[in-house]
Amino acid sequence: MTSMTVDNSLALPEGYWTRTRKAGLIMVLLGLIAAVYLTAIVPNEPARFFLGETTAASGASFSINGKVGTLIFGLLTIACGALLILTNKRFGLYVGLGLAFFVVAALIWQIAETGGQVPLSSLSKITMEKSLPLIFGAIAGVLCERSGVVNVAIEGQLLTGAFFAALFGTMVGSQWFGLVAAAIGGALISLILAWLAIRFLVDQVVIGVVLNALALGLTGFFYEQVMREDTKSFNSPGLLPVWTVPGLSEIPIIGPALFKGTILTYAALLLVVAATVALFRTRWGLRTRAVGEHPAAADTVGIKVLGLRYVNVMIAGLVAGFGGAYFSMVTASSFTKNITGGLGFIALAAMIFGRWHPVGAFLAAIFFGFSSALSSLLQAIQSPIPSDFLAMLPYVATIFAVAGLVGRSRAPAADGKPYVKG
Amino acid sequence: MKIIALAAAGSIAFAAAACSKPPADTPGTPGAGSFKACMVTDTGGIDDRSFNEASWKGLEAAKAANSAVTTKYTASTAMSDYDPNLQNQVTDGCKYIQAVGGLMGDATKKVAAANPTVQFSIVDADNLGLTNVYPIQFETQQAAFLAGYLAAGYSKTGKVGTYGGMKIGPVTIFMDGFVDGVKHYNTTKGKNVQVFGWDKDKQDGLFTNDFVKQDAGKQQSDTLVAQGADVIFPVAGGAGLGSAAAAANGGYVIIWVDSDGFLTTDYKSVMLSSVLKNSTDGVKDAVLNSAKTPGTLLTGGFLGTLANKGVGLAPFHDFDSKIDQSLKDELKKLEADIIAGTIKVTSPAQPK
Repeated sequence: MTSMTVDNSLALPEGYWTRTRKAGLIMVLLGLIAAVYLTAIVPNEPARFFLGETTAASGASFSINGKVGTLIFGLLTIACGALLILTNKRFGLYVGLGLAFFVVAALIWQIAETGGQVPLSSLSKITMEKSLPLIFGAIAGVLCERSGVVNVAIEGQLLTGAFFAALFGTMVGSQWFGLVAAAIGGALISLILAWLAIRFLVDQVVIGVVLNALALGLTGFFYEQVMREDTKSFNSPGLLPVWTVPGLSEIPIIGPALFKGTILTYAALLLVVAATVALFRTRWGLRTRAVGEHPAAADTVGIKVLGLRYVNVMIAGLVAGFGGAYFSMVTASSFTKNITGGLGFIALAAMIFGRWHPVGAFLAAIFFGFSSALSSLLQAIQSPIPSDFLAMLPYVATIFAVAGLVGRSRAPAADGKPYVKG
Repeated sequence: MKIIALAAAGSIAFAAAACSKPPADTPGTPGAGSFKACMVTDTGGIDDRSFNEASWKGLEAAKAANSAVTTKYTASTAMSDYDPNLQNQVTDGCKYIQAVGGLMGDATKKVAAANPTVQFSIVDADNLGLTNVYPIQFETQQAAFLAGYLAAGYSKTGKVGTYGGMKIGPVTIFMDGFVDGVKHYNTTKGKNVQVFGWDKDKQDGLFTNDFVKQDAGKQQSDTLVAQGADVIFPVAGGAGLGSAAAAANGGYVIIWVDSDGFLTTDYKSVMLSSVLKNSTDGVKDAVLNSAKTPGTLLTGGFLGTLANKGVGLAPFHDFDSKIDQSLKDELKKLEADIIAGTIKVTSPAQPK
């Protein structure tokens, strides 16, 4: 492989209006919209937020006047923009904060407008739940692509995982066995991916797309032929038990989201930490990154490039497959055709948005989960914004995030390029 | 768009694989089987515990009643499958072709217009301006009205919720009736039960935009439950199963749609009742009538109402003892009033 990548930090200077400063300008504009326009149109009514999981009148709550709220959070957004322009530093932090403030201002406007109520713990819980398959999917993508193999087959791995969890979980009569089977299911898809990509050097994006179609076709076929005929024996794995961590689950707002969930919730959190440590603090991680960036160099120092790629693609399959159990054992207790409904592709976007980093992928997944939960909430409280538009919100937000805010997120240099010795 | 394109490519490529074996092509007894009645499912699939399943039962019932009838269905995995699936059934020699769902209207119109001698029928749409399309429609809002009244009377929190699969007539007609039923309860009882998820005046509300994804269904009911709702009315086909699966732990009950959820789903313990849409009988009668006079096209159409039991409220099953007798009596009275026409339930989506 002779391809070289130019490190972006060595690019020519851009003049005063750097990308960071431009982003700051956009933040200031957003802040102005909130502080001036929203404050003008919002009714002079309180917006009420509940700390608990429901809007029961007895629960702890606080409220803020609509006009005061939009003004304050609009000004905070402006402040973030101003800091970006003045300092030209800390792009991620201030853009993130600024956007968060803007969303809060918009939320206050909507709540005051509709007289609706926001149960914050529930909002965060739905966010976390919606994010779960994306976290597994995106981290599976990171593990795979960091070693230089593009993983477009996340959707297929999730779907196969969901199918195996339901089928084998029911047949053996053990949900735990179902979880193991789910991981193996994802790994089977990975095996084909690895074999074709590494051994036969087939274009990895094309294999990924084909594998997704294969997984959809096969699981759909066996669903029709086997599961549907006898639901009791083949397709009723039951819901995974919810484990509550005493004490911690009582923390307002984030408690129920993080400490009141199934094994998948805890596994996802653990996975983020484990993947980060493994990738950046272990020998395996160093080798993985070396193979993903410059396989020829890695080869010359004695790293087995192809072997390592096989291992990583298989691990990715295990992770995504395990996450697939979410669809048939957490949000439902049965498998149906195409139950993943394209979330694997969102996971792919989350991986890119998260800059091929486990923590970034996690945050990106949460970002999508939150916009999705918010979309539901606004529809439920009868927001004046049309539901069709709100339904687009998570996807539009993801597109903007991937296209604009991340900037030059850079894939591993050898990502998608087969390695041929010599 | 890439996502949609990829997903679509996948579905198209493997739609053929997914339904390669004609799943229920029953060989007839010798001398019988001269009348082939076929059905194309919408994307919900044949076992959606909803109108696809109910319509298919109608075909099966017709086969049981008349040995000349053979049945067959083709499943659609994407909306782009409708047209080729209908087309294939014409080629296959089907004499009666059942389309299921208003979303299939365009494809049915196209294929039926090109084959004017074949008898088509469609559930949840009018005759599409063609003489060879037999419409099977429902005044669903009448039954959903009863469900709304029941939900309002049953709710302990004074809040109920609904969500739809997609903002289309055959779905919103349920939500309209439901909201009006709650409103009627409030007016007659002087109560203030709130409905989340649908605003009849604005014709807008909460949707999964999907009839399959159970996780989306659960997300919507979780959102409604967080607002305090303890009776959920999912009008989203298979996606509603996500809500039903989580209901026992979530502390709420479900009113199912189309078929009796107590009988057709695995979640008996949470099924307060169901709004029935009797596609089975409508389809069965249409097939039998068509088989009686092969070669002649059916005229008119089927309109299911409370009066002809084409729509209705399912039995309460396990909840029978938990619902006050007075509430049951009021529901009976309401039903009689709607049949008699003293109470009019309307929806912008009702059959014209």
